[in-house]
Amino acid sequence: MNSQEKDIKRMVHATKMKDRNNWRKLNGKDFNIYTPIALVVIGIIWWIAADIVNKPFLFPSLKSVMEALFRAVTDLYVLRNIGITMRRVLTGAFYAFIIGLPIGMIMGYSKTMMRAFAPFINSLRQVPIMAWVPLSIIWFGLGDGPTIFMIAFTGIFTIILNTIAGVQDISKDYYNAARSMGANTMDIIKDIVLPGSLPGIITGLRLAIGMGWMSVI
Amino acid sequence: MSISVQGITKVFSNRRDKKTMNTVLQDISFDVKEGEFVSLLGPSGCGKTTTLNIIAGFLKHEGGNIQVNGKDVNKPGPDRAFVFQNYALFPWQKVGENIVYPMKKQGIPKKQRQEKLKELLAMAHLEEYENYYIHEISGGMKQRVALLRALACNPQILLMDEPLGAVDFQMRQMLQVQLESMLLGSKKTALMVTHDVDEAIYLSDRVIVMSRDHGRILADIKIELPRPRDRKNEKYHQYTNELSDILRSALNGEVKNQGDEELLEFIQKTEKKDSKKTSFAQGGAI
Repeated sequence: MNSQEKDIKRMVHATKMKDRNNWRKLNGKDFNIYTPIALVVIGIIWWIAADIVNKPFLFPSLKSVMEALFRAVTDLYVLRNIGITMRRVLTGAFYAFIIGLPIGMIMGYSKTMMRAFAPFINSLRQVPIMAWVPLSIIWFGLGDGPTIFMIAFTGIFTIILNTIAGVQDISKDYYNAARSMGANTMDIIKDIVLPGSLPGIITGLRLAIGMGWMSVI
Repeated sequence: MSISVQGITKVFSNRRDKKTMNTVLQDISFDVKEGEFVSLLGPSGCGKTTTLNIIAGFLKHEGGNIQVNGKDVNKPGPDRAFVFQNYALFPWQKVGENIVYPMKKQGIPKKQRQEKLKELLAMAHLEEYENYYIHEISGGMKQRVALLRALACNPQILLMDEPLGAVDFQMRQMLQVQLESMLLGSKKTALMVTHDVDEAIYLSDRVIVMSRDHGRILADIKIELPRPRDRKNEKYHQYTNELSDILRSALNGEVKNQGDEELLEFIQKTEKKDSKKTSFAQGGAI
């Protein structure tokens, strides 16, 4: 068979066997060209503006900022500390996730559980983070403990609320459809609640990690 | 398998004012014999979707019971396959996985599942779309996938809630022909909810008209037209008129919202046009 037929066969095979987005990526059409262009444009504007203002104390030039950035990134002390901070944030977010996720899913799925826990969650959530500093130092000692606790504290409520929203957003039709196709309760949890609430869960996790990074300061 | 609805009553309580009750269905009874295709026709809000949901087991009823093949049913189950008005296809699964889902729940082995999947996709002309996600296909395709999913386990009873409601006119006619040919071979019992008179006549053996008066059944008409249906048959027009008359009497005196008033106006306008035509013919004859 000639090369054209081979191409057609290959295309049909790729479309059938894989997600058709994979075919587009093979052709390179999915490469994001906009971010580098945007960065270059911003860089040019910065360079020219710094030249015009000509007050290096108020508005540093792009050249000096890039030099400082290079020095910081290659400094081992800075890198080690970035690593320590990242570890704290991720550990705190991890604790927030494994505690917050089950609570959020149970509260989202069952109205009675929601009514039982919501008052506690809502009031505990209002306590400002700084108020926890002395108590957490007494509990966990100096060092990693209080930091991780506060990161987890900030993150857990975000994760709980977003998980609840994720579970409640699942349309009732999906439950009805699954039941009428012979799904038992375990199936419902595995096939509908978990995949259906995933968007909400992921949002909660992203927010929690982001807020954790901010609060570590 | 036959369905027997005996004296169903359904009361909804008003959310804001817990004391006021809304009796949507009061003592509704009808039968669907094995292999029959019955349509529930009626104006919006008359309770036909509620009836279907109760038969499917999604809603509880107060009083009366539902029997399938002589046995009482209360819960949803694979013996009554349901096609939803909003499709209810799982968006996190591809088309093929959606159709195969009920077969997985029934424990059908993998090889048979794949064979049946290929057969169903070929029947609806959707072979190339097996690996697409639900949000990547059009409305008419989603409707077909929802129907295929309901047919996947060869159910004895098919319950459909306005299955062709969200589809455009051309696609609707095409899907009606496809649906008819799909069900013609098998002896499936089917119960469909629709508000489209033409669709009801085209697809069903019997049409039950419900009204807003607590879902009271106004008429139970047998459609005696040869299958496969032909819209150009003279009797077809007769049935359309008869059912439109009954529907109008269902709306008369109970006009509830803007849509109903417009419908009533439309019916009165077409009446005036018809009467004008006949008087002109008579005048012309003189």
